[in-house]
Amino acid sequence: MIRPILVALLEVRTYLQDKGDLGFSLLLPIVIFALMYGAFGGQSQFHGTAHVVDEDQGAPYSALLLERLGELENLDVELLSLPEADSQLERSDLLMVLYIPNGFSDKLASGEQAQLVFKQRGNGGQEGQIVASLIRGVVEEISQELQVQSQVKNALAGRGISQDHIQITVQKFLDQERQYPIVGVREETVGTSPDLVSQFLPGIVTMFVLFAITLSSRALVEERKKGTLERLLTTRLSVGQLFVGKFLANVCRGFVQTFILLTLAYMVFRLFTPLSFVEALLIALIFSAAGSTLGLIIASVARTEDQAVWTSVTFTMVMVMLGGTFFSISEGSALYIASKASINTYANAAFKTIIAQGGSLADVGLELGVMAGVIVVGLVLSRLIFRVMPGGK
Amino acid sequence: MAEAFLVAQDLHKSFNDNKAVNGVSFTIDKGEIFGLLGPNGAGKTTTIRILSTVLQPDRGDVTIGGYSVRDNADAVRRRIGVCPQELALYVDLSALDNLVFFGRMAGLSGKEARAQAMANLELMGLTERAKGKVDKFSGGMKRRINLAIALMGHPELLFLDEPTVGIDPQSRNNIYETIEGLRDGGMTILYTTHYMEEANRLCNRVAIMDGGKIIAMDTPYALKSQIGSPEQVTLEDVFLRLTGRSLRD
Repeated sequence: MIRPILVALLEVRTYLQDKGDLGFSLLLPIVIFALMYGAFGGQSQFHGTAHVVDEDQGAPYSALLLERLGELENLDVELLSLPEADSQLERSDLLMVLYIPNGFSDKLASGEQAQLVFKQRGNGGQEGQIVASLIRGVVEEISQELQVQSQVKNALAGRGISQDHIQITVQKFLDQERQYPIVGVREETVGTSPDLVSQFLPGIVTMFVLFAITLSSRALVEERKKGTLERLLTTRLSVGQLFVGKFLANVCRGFVQTFILLTLAYMVFRLFTPLSFVEALLIALIFSAAGSTLGLIIASVARTEDQAVWTSVTFTMVMVMLGGTFFSISEGSALYIASKASINTYANAAFKTIIAQGGSLADVGLELGVMAGVIVVGLVLSRLIFRVMPGGK
Repeated sequence: MAEAFLVAQDLHKSFNDNKAVNGVSFTIDKGEIFGLLGPNGAGKTTTIRILSTVLQPDRGDVTIGGYSVRDNADAVRRRIGVCPQELALYVDLSALDNLVFFGRMAGLSGKEARAQAMANLELMGLTERAKGKVDKFSGGMKRRINLAIALMGHPELLFLDEPTVGIDPQSRNNIYETIEGLRDGGMTILYTTHYMEEANRLCNRVAIMDGGKIIAMDTPYALKSQIGSPEQVTLEDVFLRLTGRSLRD
C-alpha cells in the first residue's frame, strides 16, 4: 500500500514545485469565484440597461420619458444614435432597443395617440424582456397622467380656470401620488442566500471539477515523456499501484481546488450551514475521484500530450453540456435520456439538492452510488486498457 | 561450468509486420558482463525490454534467477535493475530524492533507501550534488544518476542500455570503473553499446544482433580471432564484417 502513496506524494510534490502550475490551479478557483461575485454581486435584484434612440430630441414628452426611466433604481439609460442602434442590433450586440419616434411629443401635446417602438432580435432576450416591461410601466404611468390631465381639463372647461393652472395643480397631485402611492409594494428578502448563486454554483463546481480530467489524463503521458514510466514498470510497482497513486494525487489536486471554491462561496454568499458545507465537500471529493478515474481512462489510451488534452477537453465539454450546466434539459426528451450518461448530471443533482434545496446526503444516495460506481469501474477499466494498448504493459 | 543466471529461449516479438526480435536465445552466467551489440534497429532495446519485464514476448521465455518473466514477473523485478538508454529521471527533484524514490519502488524501506542512495551517489562521485536539482545537472551527471538509480535495491542483474551515450571522457571513465567494480562484486550485467572499444574492455562475452537475430556470440577475443590476429583486429572490424557497411537509419 505504501508504493501508491509514494507515487501520489511524488506527484503532489512535483505539482507543488511547479510554481506556475501551482499558482494557476490555486488562483483559478479564486478567479472563478470573483467572476461569480462580479456576476451576482451578492445580490439577486435585477439591474439592466435600456438602450434608447431618441429621434424626438429635446421635445418635452421624450425628455419626460427619459427622465422617468432614469429615476428607476434598477435601470440605466443609454442613448444611442439611430445608425449605432441599427448596427448593434444587426450584429446582435444588442437584443432590444427603444425608439422614440420624431414627433412623439407633438402628437401627445395635440392630444393624438403616439407610439413608441421596441426593436428586438428574437424575443429580445431575458434582460430585454424585463427592460421592456419596466419601460411599459413608465409609459403607462405617463399615459395615465396625460389622460387625467386631459379629463380634468375637459371637466373644468368653461369655468374660468386657466389651462396652465389646471395643469400645474393636477401635476402636483400626480407627483404626490407618485411619491406616496395609495397602493405601495414592500419587498421582503427571505433568508440570506441569493437564489441565482445557489442555482448556478452547482453547475460551476461540477464544471470546475471536470478540469481534473484534463490534469489526470496527462499523468501517464508525462511519465512516458520523462522516460520514467518504463523505468517504474521494471520496479516492484505494479500497474494497479501506479494507477492508484496517480488517482490519489489527482483527487487531492481536484479536491483542493473545489474546497477553495466552496469555502469562498460559504464565507461570502453564506450558502451553507456547517453540515451542508461538509456534505457539499464530500460530494466534491467523490466527484473529484470519479473525474480522476475518467481522466485515467483517457491517460491509458493517450500516447501524446495533445491526444490526452484534446480528448479530455472534448469529453469534458460533452459531459458539461449533457449535465445541464448551461441549460436545463426537459424531462422525456432525447437529450434527457442522453444526459443520464453524463456524470455531471448526477453531481449537479447532488449539489443542487444540498445547496439549493436544503437536502441532505440521504437524499442523494443514487447520485453518490453512481459516482462511486464510476470510480470503481474507471480504475479497473483504465488498468485493463493500459495493459492491452500497444506500448502498455 | 558457470551457473546461468539469465536464460533467454527462442524469443520472438513483432510490432505489426516488423519482427523486432526473431528467435533470440542466449544465456548470461552469474557475475558475467554480457555485451549485446548491433546496429540501430537490430532489436537490442526490444530484447532488453522483454528481459526487464516491460514487454511480453510473442513466443519464447526468459528465466532470471530461475524465475520466468512470463509467469513470475514480480520475482524477476526484485532481481533486476535497469538503466535505460534515454534518461529516465524526475528532473524537478534532487538527485537524492530521485534515488530514494526509486529505491522505495524497488522495495527498500525509507531508511535503507536513503542510506543506499548516499552510497550510490558516492560511487558516482556526486555526493556533493546530492541535494541539487537534477534539472541543473550536466549531461554526464544525469547519466551517472541514471546508472545510480538502476543500482537501487541491490539488483543481481543489471541492464545497461548504452549508458555512456553523449558524455565526456571523465564521466565515461567513471562509469567504466563503476561497472568494473560491480562486476568484481559479483553482479551480472547485460550491456549494450555502439562503442566497440567499450565492449572489448568490459564484456566477458558479446552477442552481435542484426535483423532481430543473434548472428555471432563469443568472447571478444574469440570473435576477433575469427577474422585475423586478435592483437591486430578490432571488435569494430568484426562488427562491420558481420553486419555490413550499409547505413541503417
